Amino acid sequence: MMRNPRLVGGAAMALLIVILFLLPVLYAVMIAFETPSHFLTSPMTPGSPVVSNFGHAWSGADLGTELINTAVYSVSAAALSTILGLLIAFPIARRLVRRFSAVYATIVIGLFLPFSVIPLFAEARLLGLYDNRIGYIILHVEPGLPLAVVLLTAFITAIPLELDEAAWMEGAGYLRYLTKVVMPLTRPALLIAFLYGLLGVWNDIIGPVVLLANPSLFPVTRGIYNFYGSNTSAWTYLAAAIVIVSLPVVILFAVSQRQLIRLQITGSVKG
Amino acid sequence: MMWAGLLLGLGVYALFGLAPAVAQAVISFTNYTALPGAPVNNVGFSNYTSMLTTERPGFMSALVATVVFVVAVTIGQNAVALLLAHRLQGYGKMAAVGRVLVFLPIALGVTIVGLIWILIFDPREGPAASFLGAFGIHSAFFGANKWALPLVILVQIWQNAGFSTLIFIGGLRAIDPQIYEAAGIDGVGSWQRLHRITWPLLAPAVTVNILFAVVGSFTLYNTIYVLTDGLNGTQTLGMLAFNAAFGSTEANLGYGAAVTVVLFLLTLIVAIPLMALLRYRERYLWTAR
Repeated sequence: MMRNPRLVGGAAMALLIVILFLLPVLYAVMIAFETPSHFLTSPMTPGSPVVSNFGHAWSGADLGTELINTAVYSVSAAALSTILGLLIAFPIARRLVRRFSAVYATIVIGLFLPFSVIPLFAEARLLGLYDNRIGYIILHVEPGLPLAVVLLTAFITAIPLELDEAAWMEGAGYLRYLTKVVMPLTRPALLIAFLYGLLGVWNDIIGPVVLLANPSLFPVTRGIYNFYGSNTSAWTYLAAAIVIVSLPVVILFAVSQRQLIRLQITGSVKG
Repeated sequence: MMWAGLLLGLGVYALFGLAPAVAQAVISFTNYTALPGAPVNNVGFSNYTSMLTTERPGFMSALVATVVFVVAVTIGQNAVALLLAHRLQGYGKMAAVGRVLVFLPIALGVTIVGLIWILIFDPREGPAASFLGAFGIHSAFFGANKWALPLVILVQIWQNAGFSTLIFIGGLRAIDPQIYEAAGIDGVGSWQRLHRITWPLLAPAVTVNILFAVVGSFTLYNTIYVLTDGLNGTQTLGMLAFNAAFGSTEANLGYGAAVTVVLFLLTLIVAIPLMALLRYRERYLWTAR
């Protein structure tokens, strides 16, 4: 099989992809296990591995508290934005509100609005949402909302109306209907909306700078960035901190990757 | 119950999505500083007119940096993604692993990716410095005017290429294999296949990817904030707006808001005709085949 020159070319390309995308990450992992003195003398080669960097990073950057903060912020904001997205999308998809298309268009505009950090800062101070956990979560619900509504509206439109009549109209409460019937049928959309919300909070490095002041409230992205600022040349410690912070994210990514593919497969079988 | 849910959702959207967008425009006509006790006055269009004068010398260079960044990222990201999609569209295990790898930077997120690249391009101890030093190239990299913007562009492409790749793969897989089979019977060569089938039918994916790259890189600032803080010629308009409002040298939220409004309008002025053009291209490629 490998004698075919096109396949060899393909394997070479695949190898190049691995190098391009994995090497920078693997390099950071390698540095995380090196002694600072070895890194200074030969930064390109691995030395005898040590784990002491992880201890320094853990205590120096207060990673434990910050990882919990990040988990609380991202999961709460993404969950709220997904649930609110469903609560908006259902009446629109079922055309139960007057001017449903105008309401939908208003939401779509939100996809194009920039993250207005300046007025949000002013609003946060005005509404008492500045520099506290609840406020930080509330301020991060909206960015994921428009996409959640657009995705869920498309999915709900595909659910047959007969199901509404069979369950909801016969006395199952609205919320019961949403959780027992609509949510299982829109799982791929809910999952994508949730992951998109998570990624939004995770990638927001400006929000923690502008909306939080108390270091004990910082998410881990701000914490690790500050750690970098105050330990500019302590690369082995920083690399260890990078590995610690990346680990839960990579695990979540690996798990949801499988889940997403499985949903795709079942979706295509059903469709 | 349904009405309560709908109103709650729309209320959150109005309060934290629409209201700040309107407030942004209002603030841009004031000298708001958010300092307690400082008076807030209507200053008319002065935040806008000052962009064009020497009073605000940073605006024009930020505009140029933004245009360079948007054009380079859009072309680079899509070229890389096309190559990757071509290689990774298969249903085998290798291709699946490759798809996970190219998506990894997106999962790692802006801060982690930024710090990894800062480590790699550390001017004194990083591997890039010792590698390029062997060829006689010495630089401060992210700290050098000549290198900073190209490196920021490279990191942005590396970070987001996986997303465009997945969209291209979706586009490639959506092409009906029967069209290729029919072409095979007719004896169409591989260049003709690409020219007459794949490229025209991939046009919708190209549209989506170009628009995402253009809009995304116009408004981007978090990657630049981590990598350079907008120093050394990397101050794009998004970064300028942030630094004007919350930077170490000034706290001029009015001017920052004005820059954001200009950036938003600029994005619309570019994105809307571009979308029309790309849609036209989709039809043209298909009919001119």
